[in-house]
Amino acid sequence: MTPTQPLPAQASIIIVGAGIQGLSLAFNLAELGVRDVLLLDAGYWQGGASGRNGTLIRGAFSSPEWTRFFAHSCHLWQGLSRRLGENVMYSRRGYSMIGERSSTAAMLDRTLEVHKACGINSSLLSAAQLREVLPALAHQRVSAALHLPDSGVAPHHAAMYAYRQACEARGVSIRYRTEVSAIDRSAGRVTGVRVGEQRIATDTLVLAGGAESNRLAQLAGVPLDGYPMRLEAMALEPMRPLIGPAVALLDRLCYMHQTARGEVVGGAEVAERPQNTLNTDVPVMAATAKAYLEMFPQLGHARILRQWAGLVHISKDFGPLLGAHNALPGLFISAGWCYGHAGAPAAGEFLAKAIVKGVVDERMRPFAVDRFERNQAVVEPGIVLSHFE
Amino acid sequence: MSEVNLRLRHASSECVEFFWNGRSLQGRKGESLAAALLANGVQTLAWTRKSHRPLGYSGSYVAGVLARVDGVPNVRLDLLAVTAGVQVEMQNCWPSPAFDVLRLSRLIPDRWLQGGFEHTNLVPSGTPLFQRWEALLAFLAGVAKPAERTAEVAVPQGQYVSSDVLVIGGGPAGCAAANEAARAGRSVVLVTRGHRLGRYAQSAGQPKPQLDERVQQVTGVEVFGAYREGQLLLGAPHDPAQGAVAFEADDVVLATGRRACPPVIPNMWLPGVMDARTALIMAHEQAVAPGARVVVVGNGDQTAHANRLRELGVNVVAVKAISELRCVLGRNAVSAALFDQPVACDALVHAGPWLVDASLTFQSRAEGLLQLREQRQSRLRTVGSAAEPDQPLPVAARTRYKALLCPCFDVSCHEVEALIEQGITDLEVIKRLTSCGMGPCQGQPCWDLLRALVSARSGIPLHTLPRPTLRPPRRALSVAQAAGLADVVEPLQ
Repeated sequence: MTPTQPLPAQASIIIVGAGIQGLSLAFNLAELGVRDVLLLDAGYWQGGASGRNGTLIRGAFSSPEWTRFFAHSCHLWQGLSRRLGENVMYSRRGYSMIGERSSTAAMLDRTLEVHKACGINSSLLSAAQLREVLPALAHQRVSAALHLPDSGVAPHHAAMYAYRQACEARGVSIRYRTEVSAIDRSAGRVTGVRVGEQRIATDTLVLAGGAESNRLAQLAGVPLDGYPMRLEAMALEPMRPLIGPAVALLDRLCYMHQTARGEVVGGAEVAERPQNTLNTDVPVMAATAKAYLEMFPQLGHARILRQWAGLVHISKDFGPLLGAHNALPGLFISAGWCYGHAGAPAAGEFLAKAIVKGVVDERMRPFAVDRFERNQAVVEPGIVLSHFE
Repeated sequence: MSEVNLRLRHASSECVEFFWNGRSLQGRKGESLAAALLANGVQTLAWTRKSHRPLGYSGSYVAGVLARVDGVPNVRLDLLAVTAGVQVEMQNCWPSPAFDVLRLSRLIPDRWLQGGFEHTNLVPSGTPLFQRWEALLAFLAGVAKPAERTAEVAVPQGQYVSSDVLVIGGGPAGCAAANEAARAGRSVVLVTRGHRLGRYAQSAGQPKPQLDERVQQVTGVEVFGAYREGQLLLGAPHDPAQGAVAFEADDVVLATGRRACPPVIPNMWLPGVMDARTALIMAHEQAVAPGARVVVVGNGDQTAHANRLRELGVNVVAVKAISELRCVLGRNAVSAALFDQPVACDALVHAGPWLVDASLTFQSRAEGLLQLREQRQSRLRTVGSAAEPDQPLPVAARTRYKALLCPCFDVSCHEVEALIEQGITDLEVIKRLTSCGMGPCQGQPCWDLLRALVSARSGIPLHTLPRPTLRPPRRALSVAQAAGLADVVEPLQ
């Protein structure tokens, strides 16, 4: 890992934010032959949402736009260890979306139609099949279960390590604890960034700063949709395997899985005023515990090891903001991520192609940064998040 | 198994039969399961996760006292009184504690097990073997069988307690602070994790602290987390059938004292090593000696602790300064303490180095904010020994694999030294590369050891090395208890 060296005077492309989005983009840029890519990050390695997420990789949603994007990403995850030359530990253990209300069952029926149209491998499980996939579940509460056998999880420590090693092996320079203090523009385009007193020249700048995206856009003098929002998760103390696939309890806005270390990790959402802090609170822990207890009664006596919070950047429609920013030539955005861990391999590939070749992939196009100005929000009913009303 | 009787003369004569791995043992009324097992010569209560090293009742490492009790996994044996017929079973064994194949993992060379638990390029994902490999790892890392399938666990309703002043800690300093506030006419709640006031003080031979009768006492509840910048604190009784408690107060006083932290010295994790607070309370309240031949080391107060142990009937064979301790000897349990000369013993009690548990102040100060933004002053006030500075943690010159920073995950000094040589000194990064402090103890005390080692080896001053985030509830709360808080604390609107 990079020992401290002086910052360069210029870089071909500067990426602000060395989370999984920044690293995946840098890796893809390097693969396309771009040299002198520089990643700058104010925090420490894995200190942001890339080291705090639930590590779930869901390869299909309920809208065709989200489904096509994330199906490609899920496909990339499956071959990522070979591609990066390091083990990302992608576990193809399946992903079950559990509905309890009858309205949710109807939504899952419609979702299955979308999956068929997009060529996704998925199925609605019968009661007997569900018992086989999730024997520990409180089956009497379930109205429908949609299962994605190709989806799964990848521990973020393994993925972040693999991406970082692959980037450094390809000559990408990565600097943590290095905060960008200003973004320079001249003659209507990006010309560089400043770190304290030092100026680094570049004509291509990518903002991939997660929850800091609005602040970074402000430095660049451009508008950006979205706001930071705290999400919380918790880990139970380890136990031998009880829960096989990743699980989304849709009616409880709760997701969970049991890690390769035996810890049950997950979190439920509660309606709270959006918080811009990494400190945890009580209601999410209580709601998550209630969901566990009611849906997996064997977890009732288990003890909670730790709870933590992460900050994501939430756009109006919860979808990513990905691509060129039309207000400032030379500026690209990768923001609005709340499923950023799952989406990183595809996002890095698409955005690198857009930057280097000027080609916008069809699967990326719906998530354009200016879509709200064009009234083209993407409606996705199958996510476990909600805006605070 | 030793044949020596560790029960002291003030032990209860009332016998209680209980079972350890199916074997019938005799406990005495008033003993915890951990003390009863020690008195029966059972020093090893658990195995470390990767290398299957033995762990016992130390007072420092909670992983050493976790076992399956009557079908419930991961029960703390040091907090549960021995009762007639209770079935206690060792975890992390397969197929059974009597015939445990997993013990062979102790033969695996240490260097193969570095870098988190499962991180390896031997079996990368995307290969046919990976899912099986991962399933095996998950089984091994899981340590404990899940609880038996039963009907839904009842949700113990959480409580809400509010007062002008909240005092955490029932020792002399906490009682004095509570009395003072009560005399000033304020409503005061004093919460303590023990069921009685001043347990350590009394075990050390001091008088029981007196509490003003206007002070409301909440006993047997461990306060484990500070929320909303310290305006809300959560505590829970150890018994998961009882509800958690949310505290709110205008002023919060921390009188939580200090704890003895094991120094970074080879084999300090072995069964037989015990912190002085745990040893004194066990000898005084439960009438069980930490060993038949006990060595006491300390940071100046070793003689006082040794004398008190002797008064209680413990056979103390040597009393030394902790700085003279070079190494603990033994393979499965302590066999000697090495100073200039080895001293044969079966227990080593360390009075110090005394460190403060910084969790609640950390959480109330919002230090978790990436460690980059400015930190606020904590609104929690500390009194008594909790307000005193930490004592330095001795770090042995040569440590290699035998000195563990984090026994739960078998993280050795050697592993961290290799990272320091690569220039990695950020504790948050080391935590993520090694899993140090991510087991049941949640970095208490492992991160203090890690911090001391990184400072000693890299030359970076200790106070400039920020601790990894100290996260609640560090297993003080069960899922059922947390569910009982759902209607007690409202989301921020």
